[in-house]
Amino acid sequence: MKRRNEEPILQVKDLHFSYNDEKETLRGISLDIYEGEKIAVLGSNGAGKSTFFLNINGVLKSSSGQICYRGKTIDKKSLNELRKNVGIVFQDADNQIIASTVEAEVSFGPMNLKLPRQEVIERVDKALAYMNISDFKKRAPHYLSGGEKKRVSIADIIAMESEIIIFDEPTAALDPLNAAMLEEVLGKMNEEGRTMLISTHDVDFAYRWADRVIVFSNGQIIADDTPFNIFCQENILEQASLKHPTMFDVCRIIEEQSEITTQESYPRNINEFKEFMNKLLLTKNY
Amino acid sequence: MEKIITIFLIIVAAAMFAHGLWKGRHNHHHFHIGHSHGGSLGIDALAYSSKMRSWNAGYKVLLATICLILCIAFNNIYVSIAVILTMGYLTVVVGELEFDHYISMMTIPIVFMVVGAITIAIGYSLKPIGEYNLHVFNLFYIYWSKKSLLLAAKLILRAFGAVSALYMMTLTTPLTELVSVLRKVHMPKLIVELMNMIYRYIFIMLETYTRLKNSAESRLGYVDFRTSCYTFGQIASNLFIVTLKKANAYYNALEARCYDGELNFLEEEKPVKTWQIAFAIAFLFVLFAIWFLTR
Repeated sequence: MKRRNEEPILQVKDLHFSYNDEKETLRGISLDIYEGEKIAVLGSNGAGKSTFFLNINGVLKSSSGQICYRGKTIDKKSLNELRKNVGIVFQDADNQIIASTVEAEVSFGPMNLKLPRQEVIERVDKALAYMNISDFKKRAPHYLSGGEKKRVSIADIIAMESEIIIFDEPTAALDPLNAAMLEEVLGKMNEEGRTMLISTHDVDFAYRWADRVIVFSNGQIIADDTPFNIFCQENILEQASLKHPTMFDVCRIIEEQSEITTQESYPRNINEFKEFMNKLLLTKNY
Repeated sequence: MEKIITIFLIIVAAAMFAHGLWKGRHNHHHFHIGHSHGGSLGIDALAYSSKMRSWNAGYKVLLATICLILCIAFNNIYVSIAVILTMGYLTVVVGELEFDHYISMMTIPIVFMVVGAITIAIGYSLKPIGEYNLHVFNLFYIYWSKKSLLLAAKLILRAFGAVSALYMMTLTTPLTELVSVLRKVHMPKLIVELMNMIYRYIFIMLETYTRLKNSAESRLGYVDFRTSCYTFGQIASNLFIVTLKKANAYYNALEARCYDGELNFLEEEKPVKTWQIAFAIAFLFVLFAIWFLTR
């Protein structure tokens, strides 16, 4: 990858984990995460994505292996360090929201960080404004809609100002409008240079959003590369039962039909696609 | 003296009613939050949309408690009426609760009160021994007296006074704020946290139950009595398992946000305003005055 000379924020070395002794859910995961990366985590259900997330957040304790945060190896005493700096937005917002008003809910993380009251208030207000839900401040979460709850659960993590933010299948239960809102928020967060990991089944989203894709299969990382390189490797896609992104397929077909190989990588979104087509038409001289 | 106080109360009631009408003129469309799950959860939704929610919760609890105690201790018709009027005024006009809702809430205890009062107001006997007697089917007499009627009226008003004071509290204060009042009076942390969590989970459990029930219903799970019983059992046991799973998921989510054994939330500070204190003192003074003058 491109930032090999940089110091990784989070370093995972040969991580093993099992819920019970029978079967290992994670079988030797090694991964370096660098600052500002947009990582999409792909893999079928039960491949170990969520378990991995809970491990690097310090909720689950690995049976063997090492996690280093900014060069410091995490042990039992510094687990909270990990929880402070790695935030998870859980898949089901209802499994995350515990307080009875939105304000109290968002304040839960900062309160646990033992921040002074004034700073907690500031962070809560900031997080609510960020997610555009300042109006819901005094409302009870059980009177909110699914999309609104999702926003609250994201605000939860924003208020903690974690360095790495993990989204566990964020688009799973959202309607198109809310999914678009989410992508907008993700874009905004990336501009601010936050490091993000998103697990998803949506290959189109992973292809257009991520700059690095990690593929999980059966408790192991079977591929870790740029989106383009990943989707070129048929054997990996097959192993993880993934499909090609639509944009990828379309571009490949166009390329094959026009019998010209101009690009080393394909366009990832509509705007890039337009450019791609223009270039193609120019070279073909239609 | 009683006449003067009666007139006073009537004037006050008319003024409150007029204010309510005048206020209602501006906003015909009342604000509703969420869907009512019926019964006690309806109260919760009403409390969330109350305009009196911005008042200090401790103040409301204290005011309601004092009114409740005075109502019961004085056992005075005029005091009871004054409490009913004022509390109703606070809940409906100041809190902007819909009048229909308030009345329907008030009818919940009415059955108990009327039944209880009837047994006090009237008696039956084989001989006409009361001040007023009613001969029924030439068999027995139902009798009553002015005194027993007065006693029954006193009882009803006293009970309604107490109920209206408590309604003022519950219909304007969401449960979490009541819990935070308990925290402030040093209720053990364990109980306070349990109350908070149980409150939140009631809604989640209801939602889960509704989902399970709907899916069972769509597969003819309630087609006859026998099946219904079986389905109910299945849902109950499944609900238990889902609850355990959810508890696990919650614990993970708590841990992920640095939970260290104590649930700390930001509590909004709602200072008591001077006019609110002045109102409470004036109101209590009036109650004492009424009681003193009609003793």
